[in-house]
Amino acid sequence: MARIGDVRHSAGNLTRRSFLIAASGAVAAFGFANYASGSMALPSGDEIVPEKTFEPTIWYSIDGNGVVEVNIIRAEMGQHVGTSLARIIADELEVSWDQVRITHVDSAAKWGLMVTGGSWSVSQTWPIFSKAGAAGRQALIERGAELLGVPEAECRAREGKVVSGDRSIDYGTIVKSGIVRTYTSDQLAAMPTKPVEERRLIGRPVRALDIPPKIDGSARYGIDARIEGMVYARPVLPPTRYGSKVVTVDDSDARGVKGYIRSIVLDDSTDTVPGWVMAIGETYVAAMRAADQLRVTWNAGPTNEVSEKDLQDHGAALIAEGKVGSILDTGNTNTEAVFGRAEHIIERTYTNATALHFQLEPTNALAFEKDGIFEIHTGNQWQSLILPTLAKALSRPEETVVLKTYMLGGGFGRRLNGDYAVPAALTAKALNAPVKMILTREDDCRFDSVRSPAVQTLRMALDPNKKVVAMEHHAAAGWPTEVLAPFFMPKGANGIPFDPFSINGADHWYEVGAQKVRAISNDLARATFRPGWLRSVGPGWTNWALESFMDEAAHDVGADPVEFRIGLLKGTGRNAGSAPNSVGGALRQANVLRTVAERAGWGNPLPDGHGLGVATSFGQEREMPTWVACVAHVSVDRATGNVKVERLTSVIDAGTIVDPGGALAQAEGATLWGASLALFEGTRFENGQVADRNLDTYTPLRIADTPPLDISFVDSREAPTGLGEPPTTVVGPAIANAIFAASGARLRHIPITAEAVKEAIQP
Amino acid sequence: MRGNHRNTRNALFVVAAVSAAVAAGFVGYGWKPEILDAPSPTGAFTQELVARGEVLAGAGYCGVCHTSDPAKPYAGGRGLVTQFGTIFPTNITPDPATGMGSWSRSAFARAMREGVSRDGSHLFPAFPYDHFALLSDEDIDALYAYFMTRTPVRQVNQDNTLPFPLSIRFLQTGWKLLFFRPPEPENAILQTAEARGRYLVDGIAHCGACHTPRNALGAEIAWRAMDGADIDGWTAPALNGNTPSPTGWSTSDFYNYLRTGSSRLHGTAAGPMSPVVHQGLAKLPDDDIQAISQYLVTFGGGSSALQEAAEQRSLEQDAAQSASPLATLGERLYVTACATCHFNAGEEVADARPALGLNSALSLEKPDNLLHAVLEGVSAEDGKPGVAMPAFRTMTDRDLAEIAKYLRSTRTDLPPWTDLEERVARIRSAGAAHD
Amino acid sequence: MTNVQNPISFSVNGKPVSTREAADTPLLWFIRDNVGLTGTKFGCGIGMCGACTVHVGGRALRSCVTPISAVDGGEVTTIEGLSSNASHPVQKAWSEMQVPQCGYCQSGQIMQAVTLLSDFPEPTDEIIDAVMAGNLCRCMTYPRIRAAVKRAAAIAKEAQTHG
Repeated sequence: MARIGDVRHSAGNLTRRSFLIAASGAVAAFGFANYASGSMALPSGDEIVPEKTFEPTIWYSIDGNGVVEVNIIRAEMGQHVGTSLARIIADELEVSWDQVRITHVDSAAKWGLMVTGGSWSVSQTWPIFSKAGAAGRQALIERGAELLGVPEAECRAREGKVVSGDRSIDYGTIVKSGIVRTYTSDQLAAMPTKPVEERRLIGRPVRALDIPPKIDGSARYGIDARIEGMVYARPVLPPTRYGSKVVTVDDSDARGVKGYIRSIVLDDSTDTVPGWVMAIGETYVAAMRAADQLRVTWNAGPTNEVSEKDLQDHGAALIAEGKVGSILDTGNTNTEAVFGRAEHIIERTYTNATALHFQLEPTNALAFEKDGIFEIHTGNQWQSLILPTLAKALSRPEETVVLKTYMLGGGFGRRLNGDYAVPAALTAKALNAPVKMILTREDDCRFDSVRSPAVQTLRMALDPNKKVVAMEHHAAAGWPTEVLAPFFMPKGANGIPFDPFSINGADHWYEVGAQKVRAISNDLARATFRPGWLRSVGPGWTNWALESFMDEAAHDVGADPVEFRIGLLKGTGRNAGSAPNSVGGALRQANVLRTVAERAGWGNPLPDGHGLGVATSFGQEREMPTWVACVAHVSVDRATGNVKVERLTSVIDAGTIVDPGGALAQAEGATLWGASLALFEGTRFENGQVADRNLDTYTPLRIADTPPLDISFVDSREAPTGLGEPPTTVVGPAIANAIFAASGARLRHIPITAEAVKEAIQP
Repeated sequence: MRGNHRNTRNALFVVAAVSAAVAAGFVGYGWKPEILDAPSPTGAFTQELVARGEVLAGAGYCGVCHTSDPAKPYAGGRGLVTQFGTIFPTNITPDPATGMGSWSRSAFARAMREGVSRDGSHLFPAFPYDHFALLSDEDIDALYAYFMTRTPVRQVNQDNTLPFPLSIRFLQTGWKLLFFRPPEPENAILQTAEARGRYLVDGIAHCGACHTPRNALGAEIAWRAMDGADIDGWTAPALNGNTPSPTGWSTSDFYNYLRTGSSRLHGTAAGPMSPVVHQGLAKLPDDDIQAISQYLVTFGGGSSALQEAAEQRSLEQDAAQSASPLATLGERLYVTACATCHFNAGEEVADARPALGLNSALSLEKPDNLLHAVLEGVSAEDGKPGVAMPAFRTMTDRDLAEIAKYLRSTRTDLPPWTDLEERVARIRSAGAAHD
Repeated sequence: MTNVQNPISFSVNGKPVSTREAADTPLLWFIRDNVGLTGTKFGCGIGMCGACTVHVGGRALRSCVTPISAVDGGEVTTIEGLSSNASHPVQKAWSEMQVPQCGYCQSGQIMQAVTLLSDFPEPTDEIIDAVMAGNLCRCMTYPRIRAAVKRAAAIAKEAQTHG
């Protein structure tokens, strides 16, 4: 298939090959594999002659100018992921940074699992890209030595050149001379990488490659995709997420909207968007207004009266019912015996409200068929998950569906669920024309894959010496993975599958004797909405409960909350940690805890009404722990219950920090997300749908609410782990614990409101 | 519904008044002859006279009422919705069949000064002849010259929708007998700026037509001149000592407002006031605007001593606003949707950031001016030229009501507005019908 | 309300545009779909996120709730027309401080910050918080926005001193 250039936009929007050429003389260093545009219908007149390149792995290529183009399969959604990942290859490959370009690629089978989530990107890519870079360096040295006529052992690679004594040959020249060397996966796995001392790019500050287009308006997001002849669509959403059936559609009023074309009732064999009706217009304004005028009647699904309280009550009832749920393998899970003879038992229940992603770019997709390929142009975090669904919905082979890659106007987990691609594709198929579907903000919120409300009950058994001898953590929530990716669900110790992303965090690194972690799927939640992964996912609520509970336990036994925790972080047995990701184990968690206490002035006197609260976490999962601890400093107005966050101090150990600037940005954002979810944002289900659908009543943190932040990283040479989410998990409990320290009010539900604080303050 | 009742009641008043007048035998008074003089030939007008007429036609906003299609100036206007019914301003182009083509100078003068059409029928007082009667002979000449030299447009006048018996033009005689006290034409040479200002304000600019309250039969109440009145769903605020403005109006406030469409402390001329400034007074020279301003302050709405204190208070109110979780819905909405443009800080209110704490819209008895501005916005052609305010129609009735409630309670000491949500809904739907 | 029979005309980044689209078409969608400039973003549609902020007559304005009739005769500037080569002091500061994450709100943040600095050349945190309160950043780049607004003020001042 001929590559098609985009003649309308001069740089940055070209095909992969032409982009490279364009980029060699320009500042643009950020690209996408392809863009839809008005000129796409016309093949480019001048075929670009492929120049000689060297492609030691599928992950990058080097051209005759020595320019390295790195293929990025992760979505760019604000984490500057391409910059971080390309730094890994560039460092090992020994090229200077100005020779590096990145390309965010379209979906294709060769890329394997294409997902951006779980704070996995750097951690998972690190070993692959390190070795891929090292392999390229080795190959270039081999061929360079040959060309220089010197033994390979006398050569080293530096700054895009192979150097031997005072002679050198640059990578471009080597590539032009012809170099064919590929590596098997076994060879790559065995490839030695550079010693830490010789790193030149990793850990050094760099300007993110994706930022320039985000400052001049040229960045292209899914919502910006366009193609000649496309029509616009906006859905009319049914009363329930599932089970609603369209009875009648009356478009007599819609026909009065200028530019209205028609309406379509979607026929979706995958049941992704049951009961959706699409309003089609010549412009988006027409589609948007026509959707408001379409009169649709449905037979509503069975959850059309479900309330937030119903969901919470159901979760509590499931917890009370001892038999349900999956028990995680945490070593000795036989807690019953210990609790039976315990001197003292502490039991508390914690809840959290439904929360919306509210990624600022509403979900959207452009879909059309061209040359036998169905193209979906949209920002997405998990292309390989939605592709099979799209193929089934369109009744065509998976190989003939491609997701084109765009920047994401916020991911936060929303776009892991690619459900929004399905209605666009179905509409394009029904109309046999390109369709651009955009959800309004209200549409987007109504059928967001919300963070499930969760109910969690924690219990602790203490012996007469106030030593912790057993602990239980029961958590009931809607499980995103069960609905969207059940193949990702391992089996618990009792043989029942569980969603790790909904319970991770509860399987902590504290040594508490017998430990039972029970994960329960809230089936009413699953029936009512499509549970979503929302930034920090399970640990976002499990750690809220766990760290609030540890604080309550410390106060209960009269211990200092920092010392109490450190006393349990012994780093022995299953908490000792293991290579590559968790070397050091719980001792690293104890370290961040000690460090943050020191930085935040733990124990220093504070004015009346002020308090410090602490919380710690290992981040997203035991297999990839990012050790975090946070101290929140708050002041509480006892008369009104108003809470002001005075400062948040966080210390993070994420192993090697590849891109310090990007890492700090991620940590800042994640920390403030934690504050937002703790104090500012939450909604409730009412009649089967979320009650808050726009910014008039859904109120995420804004600039004026932003407290000063003090975030620091532990200097580490260990393998890099994740950063986008772990710093979120500690903020909520740290704030709640600080409110307790400041006012004696113990809050067990987030978001925390002033009224709740006022009520909880003992008179 | 309420409006209909009032119309019925008003109609009864008219019938009663008319009966009384008939009893007094006023038929002779009421009958006016048709004037059949030939119109002056257009060649008779000097360029200077036509140019002067153009300025006066602007200052009298003739085009604002008498034009509906900008491509056909003066060929008849969009209906004026009054409490009595809809009145359609007529075609005043020199088209002989449908306009004023057959009108002589004396017929024109009689219409301007007595409210009587060329054919002898009485005009409705929506046409402000009670103000135009003040115009000098020369100004009448100039206006006549101007209109007779316009492009004639053939466009038949639309019928008014006044209910019987208000529709009987002859009965206007009774109205005139009761209320019409025409001023003498001001032909003397005016010595002071203030006198010139009075001549313009009370005459061609007919400010009182909107700003002076009217009695049940639609006549301006003389002793309440510039006391504020409702017009077109808006309130034309009082310009006298009852001004709702917390800062009062100085001569320079009036001047800036009337000359540019905005003043630093009072905000912008929106709604029906916008064409007054941008299409009407824009034609007058600076001296005349200065004269108008000097005259307007004599009504007692100026209180410059208070200005500094009011401005400081407004700055303090802005500093106190917050979007904290404690904030009411209205405050949070205001802080996140409105304050980004309206917030002020530092020494003084910025020219480009209208301070709502100083805006009379918050101190009026009705919230309508505020709600109109919020729902309909202010276009780049209105208010302060070149800049615009969005139309927040996409917000819910409740949200907008909460914003109004918050502003009223924090920026004024006045009692809260009532029925806010209903008012928002009503103004919203009226605006939609208008479109 | 502008008469339907007459086109609505204004300029976008200095170029004249004239249209017979419905007078109540939101300026945002006209800029994006008719003019083809996509740097201005759709976020909430009710004027409460600021992603759609453009300048009209040099003043920041939420284009999603502004009908095109309201800018008839006006001058509209979008992020694409703010400067050439991202050379505006605010853009320079945004780059220096590496403000954007996902970037979706940043066109609006930048356009709003430009108006902020024209009104308050030496802004305090309180002023920044009040004027930028209408611009939501879901990635929560707020600490960097505060810092960058101040940095932009300094860059602008330097330029004035040296210029």
